[in-house]
Amino acid sequence: MITVNGRPHPVDVEPRVTLADFLRDSLRLTGTHLGCEHGVCGACTVLLDGEAVRSCLVFAVQAEGHEVRTVEGMSGEGRPSPLQLAFERRRAFQCGFCTPGFLATGQALLDSGRTLSRENLPELLAGNICRCTGYAPIIDALLDVVDPGR
Amino acid sequence: MKAAPFAYHRPRSLDEALDLLAEHGGDAKALAGGQSLVPLLALRLAQPAVIVDLAEVPELKQRTGGRVGAMVTNAALERDPAGLPPPAVAALPHIGHFQVRNRGTLGGSLAHLDPAAEWPALALLLDARLTLRSRDRGERTLTPAEFIRGPLTTALEPDELLTSVAFPDWPADGRWGFAEVARRPGDFALAGAACTVLDGRRRVVVFAAGRLPQLLAEGDPIAVNGDLHAGAAYRLAIAGRLVEKVLAEAGERP
Repeated sequence: MITVNGRPHPVDVEPRVTLADFLRDSLRLTGTHLGCEHGVCGACTVLLDGEAVRSCLVFAVQAEGHEVRTVEGMSGEGRPSPLQLAFERRRAFQCGFCTPGFLATGQALLDSGRTLSRENLPELLAGNICRCTGYAPIIDALLDVVDPGR
Repeated sequence: MKAAPFAYHRPRSLDEALDLLAEHGGDAKALAGGQSLVPLLALRLAQPAVIVDLAEVPELKQRTGGRVGAMVTNAALERDPAGLPPPAVAALPHIGHFQVRNRGTLGGSLAHLDPAAEWPALALLLDARLTLRSRDRGERTLTPAEFIRGPLTTALEPDELLTSVAFPDWPADGRWGFAEVARRPGDFALAGAACTVLDGRRRVVVFAAGRLPQLLAEGDPIAVNGDLHAGAAYRLAIAGRLVEKVLAEAGERP
């Protein structure tokens, strides 16, 4: 069994099926996007046991017995997460393709307890590619969550 | 962009893993953190019939001082670098993006042996010892020069696993430098260099510039390759500058 957004699911797929494809095709959780499918673009980033990982580089069978959190699991009771609200407020997306990956990476950074700043965020976000925003509003959105009163 | 079919095994002990490799030999591939192998599978550059996932082999996750199990992740080493020599600690944030370090392992990087990767260069620079094990021939310990056979090629036999890497103790008066150039932080370097100065003796390594990481003796030319990421002349120029930079960091005159 694999726990996705708090719900257990049997892993009834071939070993060669990636976690990303399992989420999208078997569970129909299509919020997780697949861009490059070889670990470069970061669009498929999800939280595996709370850590940000590329779900195209993990086979679903490897996640057996582990907990996965996807973009669908970020809102609670229909209410967007503080990071999702900040993304909306800051217009931190245009086409939206990279957004689920940025939300997973961003949530992992926020949950890690490390100090996030305008100085270190460009480097910390370098594992996710966005071709629309120029990254500035994404950084602003994260900083809004770090310091809501700023 | 989808892997070809394979049989999947997740052994729960080192003996079980070595049994599987002894049984399947060249048809099998050991899976560590998957950050290099899974892209190769996705691109079908590798099509092993059998995957032996090492994720739940406890012996490979052990750490005692400078001896690090092959399945220890780069993220774990970054969180707790005790026992690692300072140049390795400095290199860790450059090894892929943090999401990749969450899965990627020390042993996986060495067994994959990408010439642009940091660990093979660090193993050479620091004169680490690599312990390999097979069911039928037992254990052997190699120097980095013995282990590294070519780009993406090591001394590992098909039935053999890299089980741990031992880094020598770092002397209190040791000096060092580490630097690399990448277009995007976390991407493979276009060139990198690192050095140590121990007992007044200099050791310099250049990586990501040529076909293999290169230990540079005094007066050696830097061997470079050009590819679509950077031309040979550019690589030569930045590798030379990086060597000067790391020597200066170590308090040496280039």
